[in-house]
Amino acid sequence: MENLYIAPTPSSPEVDFKFDALRLSLRGESYPENAAAFYGDIIARLKDFLAQRQGITLEVHIALAYFNSSSTKMLFNLIEALSNAAEGGSQVMLHWYHDEEDDTILEFGQELSEDFPAIDFSTHAVEAP
Amino acid sequence: MPSPMIADKYGSFFHLAREHQVIFYYVGYFSQHIVAAMADAVKLQLEVAGVATPTRRKLFSSFIEMAQNIIHYSADALTPASQNDGELRHGSVCIRREADGSFLLLCANPIEAVLAEELRVKLEALRKMTMEEIKQAYRQTLREEAPEGSKGAGMGFLTVARDARQPLDFDFDTDDASGDAPVFYLKAAI
Repeated sequence: MENLYIAPTPSSPEVDFKFDALRLSLRGESYPENAAAFYGDIIARLKDFLAQRQGITLEVHIALAYFNSSSTKMLFNLIEALSNAAEGGSQVMLHWYHDEEDDTILEFGQELSEDFPAIDFSTHAVEAP
Repeated sequence: MPSPMIADKYGSFFHLAREHQVIFYYVGYFSQHIVAAMADAVKLQLEVAGVATPTRRKLFSSFIEMAQNIIHYSADALTPASQNDGELRHGSVCIRREADGSFLLLCANPIEAVLAEELRVKLEALRKMTMEEIKQAYRQTLREEAPEGSKGAGMGFLTVARDARQPLDFDFDTDDASGDAPVFYLKAAI
């Protein structure tokens, strides 16, 4: 399956899904005009990949400095897809990065980890740039 | 040659902004590019002013939700109603500093009269909710299908309400001179 790379813009994150290396990352800020359209294709590609490859060990890095309400919803859907794969026998390690002073993103990550216990979550505080 | 007439004629407008401690104001058409550029300006301004990080985050988040609401829902659009990307719609946003150092975010845009009533019901219910109920509704909405007709996730107002110090205030001005559509105002204290 072909890797997926989308360059960042001021309001959308860098998407770097290296399917061949089993390493996916999202980095930057996320408030695209139409989050459903932006993430819809990304989630579809991810689901295709997860349907093709089972029993894998996948490493996911999510380092978003800010995401708006509609991006939050789409991130939830993306992580739900990863959780389904984890329940189906793959191992998913999700690294969740947050600004050391940003409790909102940390708390959202913690909530996700409670919702999706099949995923191996770890949170990382990063220093503000 | 300098003309004192300019100060006489237009000074009151700038004076009023100073009086209201306006730190950011934009009126005009909103596009995604404009919102991203404003986001930069607001972020820089709050950093330079030394505003505490949690307050900055709340202001920034609420600002983006308000600005994107204008792109999605203002009744004054330059792009066709069927278009849901690259939209251009009219409204205004304002950030002002309160005497106690806290902030007020205000936005205004014309809205279809039929949607105004729906919005009133929704926001009145939101105003009655406690912070715990707001967080609960947020968690629940996140796990539901996006509501019909919503271009976001139906979570924008909940997101702003979660970060505000007081219940969100809103109003509809049906006598606005700018057109027939009522003007929707929203105010968040951060």
